[in-house]
Amino acid sequence: MIVFSIRRLFAALLTAWVASIIAFVLFWTVPNVDPSYWLGGGDKGTNATRALATEKYGLDDPLPVQYVRLMKNIVSGDVECFYGCANLRSAFLDALPATVSLVLGAALLSVGLGVWLALICVRHRGRWPDRVITSAAAAVYSVPSIVLGALLWAFVADKWGWFPNEGYVPLTDNPFGWVHHLVLPWIAAGLPFAGAYVLVVRASLLNGVNDDWVRTARAKGLSEQRVIRRHVLRTALIPPVNVWGLDFSHAFGGFALYVEAIFHVPGVGFLTADTVGSFDLPPIVALGIYLAVVVVVAGALVDIAIAWLDPRIRRAMPST
Amino acid sequence: MILLALLAAPLYASEIAHTTSSENHLTDRVVVDGKPSDVVALDSTPIGPTWHRAYFLGADYNGRDLMVRLLYGARTSLLVGAGAVALSFLLGIPLALAAGYRRGRTDAVIIRIFDLLWSFPALLLGVLLSTALTIRGVQIGPVSIGSGSRLIPISVIGLVYVPYIARPLRGQVLALREQPFVEAARASGMRASALMRSELMPHLWSTLLVLSAIMMVNAVALEVALSFLGAGINPPEPSLGTLIEDGLTKTARSPHLLLAPSIALVLIVLTLNGLAEAFRRALDPHGALGLGLVRGE
Repeated sequence: MIVFSIRRLFAALLTAWVASIIAFVLFWTVPNVDPSYWLGGGDKGTNATRALATEKYGLDDPLPVQYVRLMKNIVSGDVECFYGCANLRSAFLDALPATVSLVLGAALLSVGLGVWLALICVRHRGRWPDRVITSAAAAVYSVPSIVLGALLWAFVADKWGWFPNEGYVPLTDNPFGWVHHLVLPWIAAGLPFAGAYVLVVRASLLNGVNDDWVRTARAKGLSEQRVIRRHVLRTALIPPVNVWGLDFSHAFGGFALYVEAIFHVPGVGFLTADTVGSFDLPPIVALGIYLAVVVVVAGALVDIAIAWLDPRIRRAMPST
Repeated sequence: MILLALLAAPLYASEIAHTTSSENHLTDRVVVDGKPSDVVALDSTPIGPTWHRAYFLGADYNGRDLMVRLLYGARTSLLVGAGAVALSFLLGIPLALAAGYRRGRTDAVIIRIFDLLWSFPALLLGVLLSTALTIRGVQIGPVSIGSGSRLIPISVIGLVYVPYIARPLRGQVLALREQPFVEAARASGMRASALMRSELMPHLWSTLLVLSAIMMVNAVALEVALSFLGAGINPPEPSLGTLIEDGLTKTARSPHLLLAPSIALVLIVLTLNGLAEAFRRALDPHGALGLGLVRGE
């Protein structure tokens, strides 16, 4: 187990390292994306200011040297912004709790709701509760969370004022305020996923209702509810868990970006979306790499948790 | 039907509404139910839905006809989506064939790259890529793409989704290459490229059809998210993402600006999901393709 964890974390860091190289190559060497142009004053710059900027930031150095320098800055957080900015690493770390709260809450909501509704579906399979829940799930799944978020924010929070329309309160300061600020983002981010999970878990459960050990359990005279909860659910959750793991790690660079932008939650997604709008290259690269590290580490943690639950995976080689 | 109707957007604009998607009508007046009213009132509130020829869904704060902008915007979103899906097929199919059929080192290299891309969220990749490309446009050899061009979101979304198409396809090719008919073709001395084209491809069409509908949903959703964050289609050109972004803060006085594009997007996604489901039922009744829910945000 420990060997597996170390290996998986190592693979994650390797992925992050390759990603940092790709980000560097993308932003520093793509034709026309020339840092000296920006540092030299953009459109208003002259050849002289550009030469000065090239000199100051060492843009004539060999690319590997520039790469190492940029990475050092990114690790310490003191990235040279073209338009000036505070220490990015501390800004990122300050913003991280809000995003973790958002993603964890949305994950709990979507998985909890998904499994619960799927269980109801399977208990009444083929009858009206099953049909109603399945079609509702398919409909909810078709509402992109960006639309759901925009509508919730615009009407429920901004127009009718039932919930705050911006900000974040740390859990440790005021648990009620924390929930109050995050309920709508949780719904916006979690509900479409819940719709998808109902369908996935239901399909997986239905696959298992006729397995041998399930028939044995029924033959023993256990109640249908007990059979499904204790015997079908356990094995049926294995395929969806992998989907959840991927969705969970992707959330940090996925819905976190726009849900935080819509609800003005000061998390890492909001920070990134804000920075992207400024077209300031080094901080964009830095935030992209920070987010990539969060994504791959979250992915590794999820894989380790799955391996802890399912011994068969532990023995297999972890992939990147 | 909805998708076909959108292709007629320019016709609607010129024949019924008599305007274009970015024409301002700040000082125009329009006759509604026999009363003349301002398109944009004195306190700068635009007119709501009139349910008449002009300004069917109302106007925005620049006095632009929302119905016309919506039709154009939806068309742009769908064009970007379709272009992106086409591009990722163009890149993904050869890679999947090569990886699945040749196996060995080719496969290892290709699958490593896909795994790497796969482990990052599509939206983050898309935002970074399109920022890099948008800043000053791209100039690769003779191809020059302006920084406001639609080709940027198309190529960004297309590139990001290549692994999402190639991974399931590769799995299928791996299974197919062990079939007797492939072995027979190989034994008869058929060249690998010809074999892939005439023996393997016919078996992939049904997967491709289902995948294309699923990926279309993802591509449109990604375009909306990118445009919403300001890294996709640039204003004043309308797309569903920019329309939603524009309407978001104006619901207090003009809810139609947010509601109309939101409803349109949901309808489009519902239609495409229905299409994907229909393809899947028709072509893969037993779920043998194992596509499940291919999603990517």
